[in-house]
Amino acid sequence: MPALESPPTVHATVVCDRREPVPGIVILGCHAPELARIVRPGQFVMVVPPSGERVSTALGMYEARGERISLMLVVVGPRTRELALLGEGDALDMLGPLGNGFDLGALGRDVALVAGGVGIAPLLLPAQALLARGASVTLYYGARNAGALVDADRFAALGCAVVLATDDGSLGHHGYVTEPLARDGARHDTIAACGPSPMLRSVGRVAESLGIRAQLSLEETFACGVGACWGCVVPLDRASAQAPFFPPAAETESRTYVHARICKEGPVFWAHEIRW
Amino acid sequence: MVDARPSLATDLGGLRLVAPTLMGSGCYGSGEEYGAFVDLARIGGVVLKSVTRHPRLGNDAPRLVPVASGLLNAIGLQNPGIDSYLAHDVAKFAQRPCAIVGSVAGFAIDDFADVTEKLAARDEIDAIELNISCPNVAHEGETFACDPGLAANATRVARAVTNKPLIVKLSPNVTDIALIARVVEAAGADALAVVNTVRGMAIDVDSVAPKLGNVTGGLSGAAIRPIAVLAVWEVARAVRIPILGQGGIETARDALEFILAGATAVSIGTGNFTDPRAPLAVADGILDYMTARGHASMRDVIGRANPKFLGAS
Repeated sequence: MPALESPPTVHATVVCDRREPVPGIVILGCHAPELARIVRPGQFVMVVPPSGERVSTALGMYEARGERISLMLVVVGPRTRELALLGEGDALDMLGPLGNGFDLGALGRDVALVAGGVGIAPLLLPAQALLARGASVTLYYGARNAGALVDADRFAALGCAVVLATDDGSLGHHGYVTEPLARDGARHDTIAACGPSPMLRSVGRVAESLGIRAQLSLEETFACGVGACWGCVVPLDRASAQAPFFPPAAETESRTYVHARICKEGPVFWAHEIRW
Repeated sequence: MVDARPSLATDLGGLRLVAPTLMGSGCYGSGEEYGAFVDLARIGGVVLKSVTRHPRLGNDAPRLVPVASGLLNAIGLQNPGIDSYLAHDVAKFAQRPCAIVGSVAGFAIDDFADVTEKLAARDEIDAIELNISCPNVAHEGETFACDPGLAANATRVARAVTNKPLIVKLSPNVTDIALIARVVEAAGADALAVVNTVRGMAIDVDSVAPKLGNVTGGLSGAAIRPIAVLAVWEVARAVRIPILGQGGIETARDALEFILAGATAVSIGTGNFTDPRAPLAVADGILDYMTARGHASMRDVIGRANPKFLGAS
């Protein structure tokens, strides 16, 4: 359990290992003793681009143990391509830890973790923490194809039950990961999920139909990552929103939602509070 | 070495700054968000996010699109409205160890008068930036910066309600920015912020739709730097009041381009998203440049590359 709330700062880290479990998905291990000590499951960092020529990249924390943390990144454009080229000994500065992280205390004794693609990354730390306190954990993990599934065996080795799904049927359920969740999910008491927005919306609908609550870690493009620019927002039910999401007024009275910052108030939100 | 180190101190239309580096409106929150990463006492000041008469939800997501060498945004002036802002937010600014510039946006001339009057009355606010050039709001917030008469009127009504330094933020999306600059100077502005974002858009060819929730947005970052440097160059030849140069500044050499073109100070916005330590590196780099060339004060550098620079001497 985290003892103290630690303020974010700039951490000068050094890449200590690099792994490419799947072409285009790179796991960078970094020597970052302070970060490893203070990060909570579901928090993220903003990685300062080595070339200094582009806005920083938000990456969820994958592993944190001892003096090492790791970040999982999928190569989608110039920023992530640059990071993917880093190797052992390269310096990498990052801001963090940022965001609220999962509310582990509000997850129950039989938890479904639901991952889509690299949405798997921020779910390892919650899995470890939940298993350590004796909870039963089932990982529902979907990806394009069998080759795009990362470290599923690792979750199994930890003690998670693992249910796989692939879009092309090359491994596990043929279809969306939310389909086995909808079929078997009634036995779980809570859900924690990360993945692309369409998947998360679907998880939210499944959770509602199952009558259980779900924490969703949203993926979005961030500019500042620290709550300064209001560029990443999600509509939240107004009743569940507090300042600084801003109070209603004449111009907005007809609206039933407010915009909360994903990087600051999130990235983890309760599915039933999101109005999307 | 006999001489003391050169001084970075500068005066932006009555706003005294320890360093010529302000943090751009909308990019730095209230300063609080970046206080964990940067010693705010070493930056010149923070231009707060714009506030309007009424609360605004802001635009629908997505609000950001990273593009080549820049960032497209369409936030839509999300803010709590001036009354809630005064009640809940402004008192916190007293704790900031740097200059605090309030930013006022509006949709009618009266908005600029009322919101400026209320905000400028607060001791926590050292100066007012009049944002007459937001490109991302439905009611044509940018209209004021694109029409000489409206730009002058907005400036005049704000000028009438405060004696604090009044900085008017101009739009690059005009044919002749020098013309707008002149009328705004004549209407009583103490300084000009040059420039706001450049209008732009991006389309997702897979979903066959605009990428921004607001469809159009404002482009910032390195992509617009040459546009902004030229705007400062032209405005510096047209007015005598000081200029706050901004548009894609990430390094000291970027900032020096603006200063040499005629800017008295610079504003760093999107550059903070690359590295929040950028403002300190910019200030340090300007100091190194001045030291190496034997310049004692900012006055020796401002407008030095612009032979027709009219600014105060």
